[in-house]
Amino acid sequence: MRLTRLAAAALLAALLAGCATPPPASDKEATAEFRQTNDPLEPTNRVFYQVNDAIDTAVLRPVAIGYRDVVPQPVRDHVHNVLDNLGTPVTLANDMMEGKPRRAGDTLMRMLVNTTFGIAGIFDVATGWGWPAHDADFGITLGVWGIDSGPYLFLPILGPSNPRDAVGFGVDIALDPTTWVGSGDVVTGLSYGRIALGAIDARERLLDTLDKIKAQALDPYATIRSLARQHRRAQIEAVRKDTRATVPDWYPAAAAPTH
Amino acid sequence: MLQRRHLLRAASIFAAAPVFLSVWGGFAAPARADAAADDARFIEALGKDLVAVVNGPGSTAEKQAALLKLVDAAVDVEGIARFCLGRFWRVATPSQQENYVSLFHRVMQNNITGRLGQYKGVSFTMGRTTPRDGDVGVATVVTQPGQAPADVEWIVATIGGKPQIVDVMAEGTSMRLTQRSDYTSFLSHNNDNVQALIDAMRKQALAAN
Repeated sequence: MRLTRLAAAALLAALLAGCATPPPASDKEATAEFRQTNDPLEPTNRVFYQVNDAIDTAVLRPVAIGYRDVVPQPVRDHVHNVLDNLGTPVTLANDMMEGKPRRAGDTLMRMLVNTTFGIAGIFDVATGWGWPAHDADFGITLGVWGIDSGPYLFLPILGPSNPRDAVGFGVDIALDPTTWVGSGDVVTGLSYGRIALGAIDARERLLDTLDKIKAQALDPYATIRSLARQHRRAQIEAVRKDTRATVPDWYPAAAAPTH
Repeated sequence: MLQRRHLLRAASIFAAAPVFLSVWGGFAAPARADAAADDARFIEALGKDLVAVVNGPGSTAEKQAALLKLVDAAVDVEGIARFCLGRFWRVATPSQQENYVSLFHRVMQNNITGRLGQYKGVSFTMGRTTPRDGDVGVATVVTQPGQAPADVEWIVATIGGKPQIVDVMAEGTSMRLTQRSDYTSFLSHNNDNVQALIDAMRKQALAAN
């Protein structure tokens, strides 16, 4: 009940906040900066940032601190590995859609090796065997296809995003086989458990970083916006730059055509 | 959760560049291609010195002093400070510029020394060297106990005849660019008043002491 009221209040505030006012066209530098920042919904985004921040301070951060205090590092690493392994089907699908067979091969081997030798993903054996993890999601895939991110969005719960990545997030859920497998209380319970654990794992790994941003940045909202954007661009660039040939080095080269 | 993970990665730059945490990049100066090998050697030597200080003996105060000496000699602080103020540098009065640069330097130093203890056990390996907009990018992989290895690229320019660090790219994010976003956003919410930024930075510098 209180949550609903909070959400309603947040929404109202967001609507009232409306759009960012662009600087006068005569100020060329300020206008260029406004375009580059590409955050026309900034007032609304800031409201959601504050709501998220409040939820984080009240719930997620304390839970993450508790998790760090109670669960030793090696166990936390294993939890992270298992969650990572559960995500490999989605990664694999995106690697293929990006048109990167070597990356898809890496992911396939990670899935096979870690699920078997790594005992359901508890151990990340594959990295040591030459198949390291990499990032892939449908937002990245769309980016590789040349689709622009669109304006910055700070989404409730999900955090920094944009229209392209928000669509990607939905597609990734649809791409995940576990979305479609089974039904009943046990399956529902497991999938909620995975989401909750994923959130705690991610937040725990962010503890020091976010604390530091909040302590050091004069405008944490803008700092996070800049970091999130740059990082997304770097992830897409990393996929583009991965031009490894599909044929491995040791495979005999095909004879050159005679005509 | 995917979005959160992105934020995690993006934000991990702060954890990813130990020691140089808040060393932001600066002005580009043309660097010759054949200088690339020199720049790589410069970063390797500096990295070894930093690691030796962090993991070496001595009191915290001694280590902090040694760290700052290394950093001040290797980093183009003024250039970075200018870059981070962006178009507001020209708006600022000469005395504001001076105040700003010295506060920028202080905040940077505080950020580095304040987290000295957390860098313990740090090590690094050298990677490729690539040209970057007239400067040279020297790639390294920084490893800290209990953390995933982080890709950190040091952008080196030749300033006054010697190599100087002008930016740090951690996991694909530029520190000077991030810092500039922070300052410009702060300014745009404070009537573009440079003095307000200087006051906020002074508060920051004092709070750390």
